[in-house]
Amino acid sequence: MNTLIKLEITRTLRNKKFMFFSVVYPAGLFLVIAGPQGDSVVSGTGGLTMGAFYMVAMASFGALTAVLMGNSERIAKEREKGWVRQLRLTALPGRGYVLAKIASAAVVSLPSIIVVFLVAVAIKHVHLAAWQWLALTGVIWAGSLCFAALGVAIGYLANGDAVRPITMIIYFGLSILGGLWLPTTSYPQWLQDITTWLPTHAYAGLGQAIELGGAPHGRDVAIIVGYFLVFAAGAAWLYRKDTRKA
Amino acid sequence: MKTTAPPATAVASFADVSKAYGRVRAVDGLTLDLHPGETVALLGPNGAGKSSTLDLLLGLRTPDSGRISVFGKSPQAAIAAGHVGAMLQSGGLMEGVRVREIVGLACDLHPKPYPVDEVMDRAGIAQIADRMVDKLSGGQEQRVRFALATAGAADLIVLDEPTTGMDVTARQAFWSTMREQAGQGRAVLFATHYLEEADAIADRVLVLHKGRLLADGTAAEIKAKAGARRIAFDLECEIDEAALRGLPFLASLSLSGTTVRIQSHDADATVHALYGLGCYPRNLEVSGLGLEQAFVAITEAEEARTS
Ligand SMILES: Nc1ncnc2c1ncn2[C@@H]1O[C@H](COP(=O)(O)OP(=O)(O)OP(=O)(O)O)[C@@H](O)[C@H]1O
Ligand SMILES: [Mg+2]
Repeated sequence: MNTLIKLEITRTLRNKKFMFFSVVYPAGLFLVIAGPQGDSVVSGTGGLTMGAFYMVAMASFGALTAVLMGNSERIAKEREKGWVRQLRLTALPGRGYVLAKIASAAVVSLPSIIVVFLVAVAIKHVHLAAWQWLALTGVIWAGSLCFAALGVAIGYLANGDAVRPITMIIYFGLSILGGLWLPTTSYPQWLQDITTWLPTHAYAGLGQAIELGGAPHGRDVAIIVGYFLVFAAGAAWLYRKDTRKA
Repeated sequence: MKTTAPPATAVASFADVSKAYGRVRAVDGLTLDLHPGETVALLGPNGAGKSSTLDLLLGLRTPDSGRISVFGKSPQAAIAAGHVGAMLQSGGLMEGVRVREIVGLACDLHPKPYPVDEVMDRAGIAQIADRMVDKLSGGQEQRVRFALATAGAADLIVLDEPTTGMDVTARQAFWSTMREQAGQGRAVLFATHYLEEADAIADRVLVLHKGRLLADGTAAEIKAKAGARRIAFDLECEIDEAALRGLPFLASLSLSGTTVRIQSHDADATVHALYGLGCYPRNLEVSGLGLEQAFVAITEAEEARTS
């Protein structure tokens, strides 16, 4: 199982194009969205500036993009080519496969988060304490694993041509509703009530709490861990159950 | 017509197993036991249900009805225990890794692994160990699949058209390894379209057609079942075709010009009766059916019966 994890990480690192875009894209998006905005405070966030708000939002969004897109499409392709069938003829347990996929996603999301932070410091002059930088990196990275698991599950639920549109819908839906693009405080109340249950809302909440100088809210942590367990268990189950022709 | 007396423990058994995809009955009421040390060839035309049967045996699909057990366990449990090594017809390989890495992975995942170098040597891929898997030729890929199937000490080896795309040397090396494996008491089950392979290697041949088992026996028995012998001769006199068709033990008869071709269940009796017709046959040849003709005869007869 460790060999599989190592191998998944190795081949992700070898995929230079994928690594490059996954790492550069969130930082670029941060500049496009947060660049022209002033240093005004974002309402409903307890005093975060635009730069700080979008730094967490885009670091989270970028990590989510890298892990969700990367996993779902690659897994659907691997299933189509029959590698997953071959793998199912080994003693590898379902959780081993899911773990390896999550680990390889984590390798991509970490640098993408750090690059957004570097750009935010250099260009938008975001100032935080050392512990906050470390904590932010840690929670956004750890939180991305939840979406890596979701990516594995989608890769199993959707086939071939359907996987990209399905991933896109889930991805934009979760990002926008969860408040990674705009603060959810601009949404109508009934929508806000729903969005607080989304994993992306909890994900953005983790980083914002730290930026404001506190610890992440227990509720956000519980929600994201809960989703992680559901996604990971679902993915492992789907891996074992997959009887469709490759 | 089992040739081996069934030992107490079957390697694998199918009990009235069926599997349909929509309206296509891919496997239809299959009952079958495999025994230790047996090398079994699974023959059948395209779409006969060979791959489906092997997929069921490997737990990659679940049967609609019937029971499959492998070493007394479910297929999945047998695989998790490392009892089964398999090569799939449509087995993709992991991309973005080297040959040595993927073989190393298979060895690592196997409960009773062989050393990586030994596995690569046996599959003839030691020289390409550092190549990327995505850049291999079709035959090289097939050798890598072979390496994956033999990464550890399995008791049953399942191969779906294993030598497709291999060159002559690879094919010979492949089968000599398989003979070795069978010699160590392992059961080998392989699907193939190369009837020479089945004839030369298998000690038991299964013929599948539209998901049903048409024949099960040694290659010799299958040949016998198909109407054992061919008789061919030229006629130099007028003779009634009806009289020819009246010959005893005929399985089939075809006339082209003055040449008569007969398949007979008892060639001696047929030839004897032929002389009795009062017409002297020229260039008389009596020969055995090859496995290939036997296969064609069996499946065509079934085709005629069912359509
Ligand atoms: N996933 C599927 N969905 C629908 N039909 C299928 C599926 N897989 C196989 N079939 C059908 O089931 C039948 C048996 O297919 P199978 O692949 O087992 O044949 P085969 O004997 O292996 O053929 P070949 O010699 O071409 O490999 C065929 O008619 C095939 O079209
Ligand atoms: Mg097949």
